[in-house]
Amino acid sequence: MTAVLEVANLRKSFGGITAVDGVSFDVHDGEILGIIGPNGSGKSTLFNCVLGQLTPTEGEVRVDGKPTTGMRPCDINRLGVSRTFQLLQVFPQLSVRDNLILAGQEHQGSMYSRLLGPADAGLNSAAGQMIEFFRLTHLAHEQAGMLSYGQQKLLDAAMAFMAGPRLVLLDEPAGGVNLTMLGHLRERLQAYHAERKATFVVIEHQMEFVMALCTRVLVLAEGRLIAEGSPQEIRRNPAVIEAYLGH
Amino acid sequence: MNRLGALAVAAAAVFTVVLPLFLKPYGIYLSSTWVVLSIAAMGLNLTLGYAGQVSLAQGAFVGIGAYTTALLMHAGVPYPIAFVAAGLVCFVVGWVLGYPALRVQHHYLAFVTLAFTTLVFLVLRNEEWLTGGTYGLSGIPRPTLFGWSTTGAVSFYYFSLGILTVLTAGTWWMLRSPWGRAFLALRENPTRALSLGLDTRRYTLMAFAIGSSLGGLSGAVFAPLVQYIEPLSFTLNLSLNLLLMVIVGGSGFFFGPFVGALVAVLLPEWLRFIQGYYLVVYAVMVMVMMAFSPTGILGLVERFVKAVSVRHDPPEPVLQAKRTSP
Repeated sequence: MTAVLEVANLRKSFGGITAVDGVSFDVHDGEILGIIGPNGSGKSTLFNCVLGQLTPTEGEVRVDGKPTTGMRPCDINRLGVSRTFQLLQVFPQLSVRDNLILAGQEHQGSMYSRLLGPADAGLNSAAGQMIEFFRLTHLAHEQAGMLSYGQQKLLDAAMAFMAGPRLVLLDEPAGGVNLTMLGHLRERLQAYHAERKATFVVIEHQMEFVMALCTRVLVLAEGRLIAEGSPQEIRRNPAVIEAYLGH
Repeated sequence: MNRLGALAVAAAAVFTVVLPLFLKPYGIYLSSTWVVLSIAAMGLNLTLGYAGQVSLAQGAFVGIGAYTTALLMHAGVPYPIAFVAAGLVCFVVGWVLGYPALRVQHHYLAFVTLAFTTLVFLVLRNEEWLTGGTYGLSGIPRPTLFGWSTTGAVSFYYFSLGILTVLTAGTWWMLRSPWGRAFLALRENPTRALSLGLDTRRYTLMAFAIGSSLGGLSGAVFAPLVQYIEPLSFTLNLSLNLLLMVIVGGSGFFFGPFVGALVAVLLPEWLRFIQGYYLVVYAVMVMVMMAFSPTGILGLVERFVKAVSVRHDPPEPVLQAKRTSP
C-alpha cells in the first residue's frame, strides 16, 4: 500500500515544553487512521504541524512523497489535504450552500479567472450533491450560524470533503455532538469512505466512535507515540490503559 | 438582493437622476459631494465591511487621488488618463499598505493606517515644489468628454453620477463573484479560509488595494468638483468621517456607504440652525444608533423587514433548532 502521508521524527517545542516529541507514522491510501490520547498529549499540535498551521521544530512531513514541511496551509490544501477543526469553524454569516462553494472555489482555476467566472465558481451542483449527501437539504439556504451545533459539525465535515481531497484530517469530529447526530456523522463518514475511497486521519476522544470508524489506531501520550495497532489491540494494550487511567 | 431591495435601489436610482431638477446650485454641489464620498466610502466598505481590515487611511487615498489628478491635468494630461492614473497609483500604494495587515489586526492595524494618513498629510503640506504646500493647487479644470463640457454644476453632477454608477456596478459584480465570498471569509474566519486553500495573504492585499483605489478614484472626481485642493482637506478627519459613514450606513451592506454618505452630507445642513452644536448632536445621534443598531441604518432596516416577514410567514420548526452546548 502506498503512503499518502509520511510523518518522520516530528518534534514541536514551545519554549521549554515539547508538545510533540519525535513522532513518526505513515498513513496508507484508503485507510482510516485514528489518533487517540489523553488531553494535552499533542494530538492537535501534531495535526497543526502536518497541515502547516504550525512549523515543526524538527522532522519532516510528506504528502504523496512531496515534502510539505513549512508550506502554508492553503498550499497544502491545494495538494489535496483537507481538515476539520476541534472547535467549530464554519462561516456563520454565509449560507450552508455558500460555505460549501467557498470550500471548493479555490480549487477552480486561478484567482483571476475566478473573478471573471461565474458567481458560484461552477460549484452549485457539486455543493447541492454535498448538501444532499450530508442530509442538509432543508437547511441549504440557512445562514450557517443559525444551525444547531451538530448540524454545523456536519457542515464542517462536508466542507472538508467539498474539493474532493485525497486525505482528510478530522480533529475531534464528535466533540460536543449528541448521540443521534454522532451516529449520523459516523454513518456519513463511512459512506463517504466507501464511495470515494478517501483516506482519513481522525483525532477523537470518543472511543466508541474511533473503534467503530478506524482500521488502525495510534496512541499519543506526553507528545510521544506509545502504541499502534488495530482498535482491538489498542483496547487491550497496558500502556494505553495506563496512559488513560494512570496507576 | 430580494424584490423589495431591488425596488428600493431602482427608486433611489431614479431619484438621483431627477434630483437636479428640484435643486439650486448649492444643492447640486452637495449632491456631487455625496457622489464623491459614496465612492470613497464604498472602497472603505470593501476593505473594512467585507474583508474585515480596519483602515484609517481612506482619506489619505482620496488626497493621493485628488493630487495625482490635479498634477497630471496641470501637466496637460487628459482627464480620463489622469482618472485612471489616480486609481492605479492608489492601487499600488494600497497594496503596499496592505502588508502590515498581514502581520497586525484590529486596533493595531488602525494605528498603522493612521500613521500613513499623517505621513501623507505631511508630504502634501511640506513638499511645496510638487503639491504647492499649504497653498494647495488651484485652477483644476472640469473635464470635457467627447465635446460634452462638465463645467456647469448640473452637467458635473451627471458626470460624477455616471462614474459612481460604473464603479458601483463593477464593485457589485466583483463582490458577487467568488472574490466577494473570499473577502467575507477573510473577515469571518481567516484560519478556516486558509485551510480551505484561500490565499489569505493575496486576498488581504487585494482588498486593501481595490478599496484604496476606489478612494483614489473618489479623489479624482473631488479635484475637478472643488477645483481647488489643499492638504487640510485630507487629514485624519476625512478618514474618520468616511469610517463613520461606513458604520452609520451599515458596514458590510453593499449600499450602506451610500446611506452613510447621505447622512454625512445632509445632517450638517439640516442641523445648520443650531450652528456649532451640530457636531455634538451628530455625535449623540451616532452613539444612540450604535447602541441600538451596531449594524447601522441598513442593519436596522434589515431587522425591521425580517421582523415583518416573520410575522407574516413564520419559519418551519426545523429552522428554530436550538444550539446544543458543546
